[in-house]
Amino acid sequence: MIELVEVSKVYHRGPEVIQALDHLNVQIDAGEFVAITGKSGCGKSTLLHIIGGLESVSRGKVLLDGCDLAQLREPARTEFRRDRVGVVFQSFNLLPLLTLEENVALPRVLQGASYDQARQEAAHWLGEVGLSGRQGHKPHQVSGGEMQRAAIARALINQPAVILADEPTGNLDSVTAAQILALFSHLHRQWGKTIILVSHAPEAGSAADRVLRLADGRLLA
Amino acid sequence: MRAWLFRISFSHLAQYPGRTLLGILGIALGTAVYLSISLAAASALQSFQVGVTAVAGQAEWRIQTPGAPLDESLFVKVRRLASVAAAAPAVESVLSLAGVHRGPVLLLGIDPFSERPFRDYEFAHAGVLSDTAWTEVLTRPDAVLVSGPLASLLGLKVGDGLAVMVGPRRRALRVAGIFTSRRGLYPLDGAVLLMDIGPAQELLDRVGGLDYIDVIGAGPPAEVQKRLQEALPPGVEVVRPSAQGSRTEGLVASYRLNLAVLSAIALFVGMFLIYQSVTLSVVRRRREIGLLRTLGMTPGQVLLLFLAEGLASGLVGGLLGLGLGVGLARGVLAVMTQNLSSLYMPVAAQEVGVQGGLLLQAWGLAVAATLLAAYLPAREAARTQLRAVWHREELEEIIESKAGLIFGWGLVALVLAGVGAYAKINDGPPWPGFVAAFLILLGFALFTPLAARLLGQGLQPVLRKILGPAGDLGCRYLAGAMSRSAVSIAALACALGMLIAVTVMIGSFRQTVNDWVSRAISGDIFFGPAVFSTAAYDQYLPPEVLAELRQDPDVADIYLYRCVRIPFKHRYILVIGGSFEVLARHGGLWFRQGDTRAIMERVGRVEGGGEEEAIMGQGPGKKDYTATMSHDDNRKPETENRKPSVVISEPLAETLHLQEGGTITLPTPSGPQTLTIAGVFYDYRTDGPSVWMDISLFRRFWRDTHLNAVRLYLKDPARVPQVQARLQERYGDRYRLLALSHRDLRNGILRIFDETFALTYALEGVAVVVAVFGIITTFLVLIRERERDLALLQAIGASRRQILGMVLVESGLAGGLSFGLGAACGSVLSLLLIFVINKQAFGWTIQLHFTPAIYWQTLILVLTLSLAAAAYPAWRAIQPHLAAILKEE
Ligand SMILES: Nc1ncnc2c1ncn2[C@@H]1O[C@H](COP(=O)(O)OP(=O)(O)OP(=O)(O)O)[C@@H](O)[C@H]1O
Ligand SMILES: [Mg+2]
Repeated sequence: MIELVEVSKVYHRGPEVIQALDHLNVQIDAGEFVAITGKSGCGKSTLLHIIGGLESVSRGKVLLDGCDLAQLREPARTEFRRDRVGVVFQSFNLLPLLTLEENVALPRVLQGASYDQARQEAAHWLGEVGLSGRQGHKPHQVSGGEMQRAAIARALINQPAVILADEPTGNLDSVTAAQILALFSHLHRQWGKTIILVSHAPEAGSAADRVLRLADGRLLA
Repeated sequence: MRAWLFRISFSHLAQYPGRTLLGILGIALGTAVYLSISLAAASALQSFQVGVTAVAGQAEWRIQTPGAPLDESLFVKVRRLASVAAAAPAVESVLSLAGVHRGPVLLLGIDPFSERPFRDYEFAHAGVLSDTAWTEVLTRPDAVLVSGPLASLLGLKVGDGLAVMVGPRRRALRVAGIFTSRRGLYPLDGAVLLMDIGPAQELLDRVGGLDYIDVIGAGPPAEVQKRLQEALPPGVEVVRPSAQGSRTEGLVASYRLNLAVLSAIALFVGMFLIYQSVTLSVVRRRREIGLLRTLGMTPGQVLLLFLAEGLASGLVGGLLGLGLGVGLARGVLAVMTQNLSSLYMPVAAQEVGVQGGLLLQAWGLAVAATLLAAYLPAREAARTQLRAVWHREELEEIIESKAGLIFGWGLVALVLAGVGAYAKINDGPPWPGFVAAFLILLGFALFTPLAARLLGQGLQPVLRKILGPAGDLGCRYLAGAMSRSAVSIAALACALGMLIAVTVMIGSFRQTVNDWVSRAISGDIFFGPAVFSTAAYDQYLPPEVLAELRQDPDVADIYLYRCVRIPFKHRYILVIGGSFEVLARHGGLWFRQGDTRAIMERVGRVEGGGEEEAIMGQGPGKKDYTATMSHDDNRKPETENRKPSVVISEPLAETLHLQEGGTITLPTPSGPQTLTIAGVFYDYRTDGPSVWMDISLFRRFWRDTHLNAVRLYLKDPARVPQVQARLQERYGDRYRLLALSHRDLRNGILRIFDETFALTYALEGVAVVVAVFGIITTFLVLIRERERDLALLQAIGASRRQILGMVLVESGLAGGLSFGLGAACGSVLSLLLIFVINKQAFGWTIQLHFTPAIYWQTLILVLTLSLAAAAYPAWRAIQPHLAAILKEE
């Protein structure tokens, strides 16, 4: 279970203070599929990054199964990021130097798996997102949607309990977007993953168990 | 449009101040070093030239005997010739001041009545010099006129005493007046004394002799020279006074060229920095270029855009370099005058003349270097296809695919270098050798991309096993980021290569000189006024000292030594007279072929020998000569066999293409003499190639009985310290004579050696500093550019240790590769320096002695630097603001 208690996030841009999240209280149960929507700049990505342990909070607590994320030391945080969440970012997702397969295999390798093992698993997950046959390509040789799908495969390879996805369908045509949404629903139903998805698409809302509406760093309704 | 374009470029420069600054500094350092060397060399030479011109005055011709005084009576004869309008006799000598200031001072002995048409204009300013001064100069034997600059330096006024060392003796002079030169031209930076010729001859122990007679001709020059030559005895030369200056330039030409080439290395390394800086900028601005091209910018304008960026660094760096170079030049000049004085001739330049031409040249070189360096990446940018999105990885792929081709070009460069190394040169500077050196540097630099790729790919499986993902990714980044890192690796490799090559060369040279001193110079004690400074040819051992030494119970044998410097085929050579019969007994001289003893005996066997002993008034030696001569092979009447034998130094043999068994014709005061070359010996003295003959032969040709020094062979070599102390005590006060043991001599020679190469080391140091700038910028930029990669890695679960490990593997490999290439390049280059360039420039055979220390020292230096240069930005990149970095675009 993920629990955000009175979480605020403040950015300083010179003298300007930006309140990205404003005393936010959210609870997400294990195995839940949550969609987050809201206008651009309302704090969706910020929220996702905080849950993913990529950013610290200015005030408040993030509790994971009752354990405060802020209290974790760096090695434990690293393990958390590596083993327990899989993140799909809004734009920059893949290391340009590595092939799709290597990108996907990377979290597994970082975990300590053998290269051959990781490669095999990566091939499998690439197949799952419909990219079998493209594993040898580098990111700049494939399309935006394919990159996005590879990123999803990478988020899945360590079989994390939680998957965080920041507008994974943002740059995609409606057919592909629908395929990817279907993939998330499948993961949610078949594997019981907790899925937190930022998306403007109305289809996302209908696929999700619950929709959180953000505005100016606060939850609406 | 233009102005707007350039504003974009400059804003980019300003956006990355660290990188821009290091690039500018690199160019500035390179320029500064180059400029300071050329300014100092020009100032030293100019100071010398000024001296030559000032002394020559209005003279059109100079009459002299190479390495020997002229008979005084010739003066009257010359002046009476119809083709001579005016003539003036002179003696001159460089003495040293014996007061608090101990510098060199030029004493000119002149005839005041003959001087007027010549140097009067320069030296005797009527308003300053009173008649009483002249009277005093003409009547008092110790009266001198002191130059204005020297008088103010020493605080002298009329009537003061002035002590000088004439060879080993201290002499007190009296200031009769102070003179100035209207044009401000003085030899030795103003350290000049004038004296009446008679007392000067006496002071210098040259009664009846002149050093030269200056002549202003009447009639066509060719006619004048012919008439003069006819009237003079054989062995006497009629030359242009300016010949002296150009010979001196020839003497120091190699020294100067070596420094100039070395100083250009720093600039060469600086070029890499600019190349890299512009490449980085092209890579970073690829999107901008794409956009601008879409908006209608022409390829030419893109080219201009990036050239402007390089040019800006070149202009600013060059300017900075000029300032720095002028500042440095003073220090360089101090070292250089010391070098030149101990190697070639007294030089006293203290002020650096800032010559606009040289400034412009250095600046032009800096700007040209940066333009050239910026051109390649700028052209790459201009050629880019019109495309909105332009992936860096595509650029990497292009470079990767060209790595083999680039390597091929490197091989071509090395092959050409081989051709250059084998090219024969007849005379002049060893340009093919220098070109070969440049090609070797270039060749190894071109190996970098392929080497980086192979190293990265080759080590990947190994390091993956040992270090896990950190090792794996580090190798991949090394192999995959060549557009950014290859140039820095190459630059560092070049700088290290030069450092290693020069160190090995100097180390080998030093060891060779060391061996040579032990093997080729025999003697227990070296005694005389001029044991080291062979430039002081007119410092003599007082004859009475020799007589006393012969009575010394400790002394078993005495080797006599006399050295003169004579002009010979557009250069100076040394002619040395020595007691070969003594050398034959004790060894000394290291011949490159033939039996040492046989050669020595052949040279020592002089018909009518024993003249030396007769002159010295010592009888017994004569017997030895006749005894030796009776061995002569039946005294064949052929003239071939009658020709006396000499030995010559290797540099002379090399530069004039002479060989054992050949002949050499020397101009001597007794006319030209053709001599058989009995042997060629290794010689590492820096003051010129030399011809050695038996002292009796020398005395016959030169009609000269002086000695510059002696070597003593003791009955009991263990008593060296006692004898040394005794000699010092007995003669130390009376004369300034040096008594050196063999070890003192060796240490002294090595000290001069080290001083000579101090500048070389400094130059190498600067090149390495510039290369280190390159490595620092590379990693600063590389890691900064990769911040997003690093953040992403962290986001998907790489630990900080893994990320730091990855960066350190990459930078460690890059450093290691620089070292590997540098070591290989340096080793090849050191062979070229030792066996080709040095041989061609100076004629020295240097034995190769590898110095392993330089290899591991540079390895440690490079690894430490590259690891540190990468660790800092990597550490900054893994601080927690991952999301912010990931969001940036
Ligand atoms: N590193 C940062 N520094 C300063 N301000 C930031 C930073 N990151 C985000 N912000 C600001 O915080 C607010 C929330 O940003 P966030 O990225 O969470 O928005 P978002 O809802 O994801 O928008 P979008 O739908 O456009 O992606 C915005 O106003 C943004 O400008
Ligand atoms: Mg967002």
